[in-house]
Amino acid sequence: MDLVLTQAAWTLKTQALTGQVYVDEVEVDEEGIAEVLMDDNVIANVSRPGTSLRKPGTSSQSGPSPGVRPTSQSGRPLSGFVRPGTQGGRPGTMEQAIRTPRTAHTARPVTSSSGRFVRLGTASMLSNPDGPFINLARLNFSKYASRPNLAKALFEYIFHHENDIRNALELAALATEACQFKDWWWKVQLAKCYYRLGMYRDAGKQLKSALDQQAMVDIFLYLGKVYVRLDQPLTAIETYKQGLEKFPGETSLLTSIARIYEGLTEMDNAVKIYKDVLQFDNMHVEAIACIATHYFYTDQPEMALKFYRRLLQMGVYNAELFNNLGLCCFYAQQYDMTLTCFQRALSLADDQTLADVWFNIGHVALGICDHKLAYQCFRLALASNNDHAEAYNNLGVLELKRGHVESGRDTCKLSFNLRGEGFHSKASGVHGGEVNSYHRPVAPTFAGRRSEYKWFLSSEDRHATVSHIPKMSFFFTIGGTAVLSETTSLRFAPSEDRISRDRASGSWENLCDLL
Amino acid sequence: MDSKEKLSDTSDKWLDAYNDRVASLYTFTQCMTLSDIKADGDWKLIIADLGTGSYDMKLKVYKNTNLMSEHTIMDLPTGVVTFYLDTLEPRTPAIAVASGPYIYIYKNLRPYFKFTLPPLEIHPVEQDLWDQARQDHVSPIIMKETLESLRQEGATLTTRSLRLLQLDPSDLDTFIQVQKSAPLKRQTVITCLGTLKKNLADDDAISCLVIGTESKAIYVLDPEAFTVLATMELPSVPVFLSVNGLYDVEYRIVTSCRNGCVYTIKRGSNEAVVKHTIELKSQPVGMERIGKNIYVGTMDQMLHCFTAKGKKLWSIKMPATIMTLEAIDFKPKGFSGVAVALGNSQVQIYKEKYLTDVIHTEDVVTGLRFGHFAREDGTLVMTTRSGSLFVKILKRTAKFEERDLSAGPPAAQNVKLNVPKKTKLFVDQTLRERENAVAMHRTFQRDLYLLRLNVAREYVKALENSMNPHLIRSHRASQAYSSGWLLEQLKPNLKTLFVVQGVGPTFRLTVNLQNTSLTQVSTSLLITFEYDDKLYSFHKKLIQVPMLVPGLMYLYESFIDCLSDKGVSDTVKVYVLKQGRSMPLITGVISMPVSEAVVLS
Repeated sequence: MDLVLTQAAWTLKTQALTGQVYVDEVEVDEEGIAEVLMDDNVIANVSRPGTSLRKPGTSSQSGPSPGVRPTSQSGRPLSGFVRPGTQGGRPGTMEQAIRTPRTAHTARPVTSSSGRFVRLGTASMLSNPDGPFINLARLNFSKYASRPNLAKALFEYIFHHENDIRNALELAALATEACQFKDWWWKVQLAKCYYRLGMYRDAGKQLKSALDQQAMVDIFLYLGKVYVRLDQPLTAIETYKQGLEKFPGETSLLTSIARIYEGLTEMDNAVKIYKDVLQFDNMHVEAIACIATHYFYTDQPEMALKFYRRLLQMGVYNAELFNNLGLCCFYAQQYDMTLTCFQRALSLADDQTLADVWFNIGHVALGICDHKLAYQCFRLALASNNDHAEAYNNLGVLELKRGHVESGRDTCKLSFNLRGEGFHSKASGVHGGEVNSYHRPVAPTFAGRRSEYKWFLSSEDRHATVSHIPKMSFFFTIGGTAVLSETTSLRFAPSEDRISRDRASGSWENLCDLL
Repeated sequence: MDSKEKLSDTSDKWLDAYNDRVASLYTFTQCMTLSDIKADGDWKLIIADLGTGSYDMKLKVYKNTNLMSEHTIMDLPTGVVTFYLDTLEPRTPAIAVASGPYIYIYKNLRPYFKFTLPPLEIHPVEQDLWDQARQDHVSPIIMKETLESLRQEGATLTTRSLRLLQLDPSDLDTFIQVQKSAPLKRQTVITCLGTLKKNLADDDAISCLVIGTESKAIYVLDPEAFTVLATMELPSVPVFLSVNGLYDVEYRIVTSCRNGCVYTIKRGSNEAVVKHTIELKSQPVGMERIGKNIYVGTMDQMLHCFTAKGKKLWSIKMPATIMTLEAIDFKPKGFSGVAVALGNSQVQIYKEKYLTDVIHTEDVVTGLRFGHFAREDGTLVMTTRSGSLFVKILKRTAKFEERDLSAGPPAAQNVKLNVPKKTKLFVDQTLRERENAVAMHRTFQRDLYLLRLNVAREYVKALENSMNPHLIRSHRASQAYSSGWLLEQLKPNLKTLFVVQGVGPTFRLTVNLQNTSLTQVSTSLLITFEYDDKLYSFHKKLIQVPMLVPGLMYLYESFIDCLSDKGVSDTVKVYVLKQGRSMPLITGVISMPVSEAVVLS
């Protein structure tokens, strides 16, 4: 009796400790530098067009051109929603990879088997001055493996809390053997371990075997993730679709498909799927945000505004959202709300987003031809974020307009250097709070409007620079958005027909109230 | 200069096949045609030569570059076409030459048939007069007066009566005596000629002749019996014809008339359908139909394009007067356009409204034909005002780009933008904007003033802070960057770039310093760091910077060891100092990357 009680308490504590650091494995997927650069899982180095996430843009491109909608370093259009992996591009060289920011904010770990997971484990250790609760080295795994109740709790503890994948794998292997390979749960755990260790093929096998026994949404998601890691996006989509046959309307499966389409730059398909998601869950933040971003970049700011407003009504309240609302209001000619939104965004902005908000305000200033204000805003953006390439670019153009050829040239060159030298995340204009997003990232992204940087290349000699000036002023007068900015995404609402028409008129009042 | 260059780079689309400057041809586009009249695959050029304009009119047939046969024509030719009038093998087409009121048909280059247009009705009073004259019941003077009054009433008289009116009173009697016994006839003159397939659309199907006359009518002739199948009245005299369709099924005749209008006639309508009338601002000098569009060149140097329904698509001004038009439909390349011969000795080729090629000729071109000639597919035959004959062959490599050679907006400007449809939401918002314009503007302006104030405050704060490291710390803008941190401070002549490399526990910090001023060197600078010494250890704590030459990039680096394996990181400050100044010139805040722990055992 005592023994049973002791075991119950032990199990409870194990689970409690695990719960402290539990992470949704399916969502968190970050490729480490080592995985990216020393990838030996790719099947085809030269893949056929439209079949690889590594070469986005080779499929039949739909949606706005990259000149209109900013892209990440790797060529994928910016998403409306920040999630793990949307920030960094794929570095081309080791040098670039190593130089990529690896702060707590934007870190790309060296390998996925260390990095963030280590930090999680370490953090829990730090909080336990007495040392670890369970001393793994002294455990007899085969004893625990034969006792399913204890083994599962122990496994999760090892896997999540201790982050000791090898021991977890050993336990899982013994346990699945102990139950004669009849428990799908152990197969999934084995797959997780293999996945963490980079043995994607083995992970795939385990997952398929588990699926034969028991169809679970999680297994489909995990299997899709394995295929994505193997750079087989089409197979992954196929897998998710099989899952959808078993679980019609499962939004996590739909969302995964949409993300892959986004990665393949098939924006029309992605938006279609996101709209499907909203049919089943009209409070789905990611879908709303991505659809809104899509509308914004396809010249329908009024539609984007509707979606962003929906996010606001749902309780999302952050700088990105207000920034995006401000931009949408401006481009949809609802001027009275524009600056209010930006002021709100400024007051809510954290270090990560402040620069982008200033940058966008600078854009609005350009739009009303207040170049002095624009100049100050871009400088403020740079004060907040010194490697904001877009702000440098715009500043350079403004300098040139003022006749400061020399300084304009230098500024533009800086911008080019920043953009060109692998400041993936920042320079690509994607900002957002990935940080707190272990479970479901909620923070929308900033999307950016940028002009091309190429023509600054030729500004080496002064004549060339001078001759470019008219071109730049052209940028300004026509677009106002020559280089600008962004928005964030939001969440959103049901597809169009769900927001009733009559709400449209009342919506402004609502927005005013909310503000 | 510019145009010369264009000449040299565009005219390389054509090969000069044949030049005959002494061909002494006096002819126009309507009097030239290209046809395989021997059914041997060797296409001939058939030209009705107007001779001197009053005599020596000839029908000339060229085989390759040789004159193959010549036939005298009695009157001035106004049109030449070839058409199939039977189904016999070999399929040799007949040549029809319009001249005065007659159509001469040649088969196998031999005269075959002469068709005369039906005589027109004679005014009863005129008929009566001549009847009386035959019986000498009327005096010449009265006859002339009556005819004169008839003419002034607007009646159309026969040529005989018109001639009579021109004569001196003394010659009247003789003229009447000579003419009175012959029957009185009123005839018209053919102005233009075309063909219309009868009931099959094949290339060698039997065709009807379509004839426009001076009597403001269009006739369709049966090819076998040479009877008039259909007569259509027009408001004016037709001068150019464009026919398509099948007579027995559905056809459409587009005709431009001397009154400056273009009429469309459809099967079943005896009169031009008025709703399809196109009114031109000037008289037409050429008309071609390509696909569904009608191209008309007018005397005011304009080329117009209309849809089949008469809607104007565009018009462009030519650099000189238009002499003639010819449609170019080159199927092997899928190119269709219109060649325009101009009064400045150019032939310009337009694809839709874009000039794609210019051919410079020695003289003003008056006759143009494009098509099969000899064994070549794309041949352009040109005759000039001075009587020369030129033949050019389109090169197989020739490519007509849609590039616009003429000045004006580039072709890209005409590409339709993918502008999304206006949403209902947009309309609603526009309404709101319209209704609340004043309030919105006021709000915006007020917000704008506030914003400017805020921005100015922040800006001043940033200016102050950049000079003061402690203030930077308090300012939210002093964000940290790990690997690349670039600061172009307000001290304009120094630029820095900080880069942290490595995965840990040892990192390398590189400081790039550049003196950006043009003339002044920077001296006595120092670089130092501020950091938590429990966490980091710098190999070099102070770096002395030698004199900085303007423009060069200097690199200084220091290794940093991370002393903790707990996965924590901190920020590190880099100061660029100048000796003798208490404030740093530049402050950089770098947030260090998390050191990768020693790989898990």
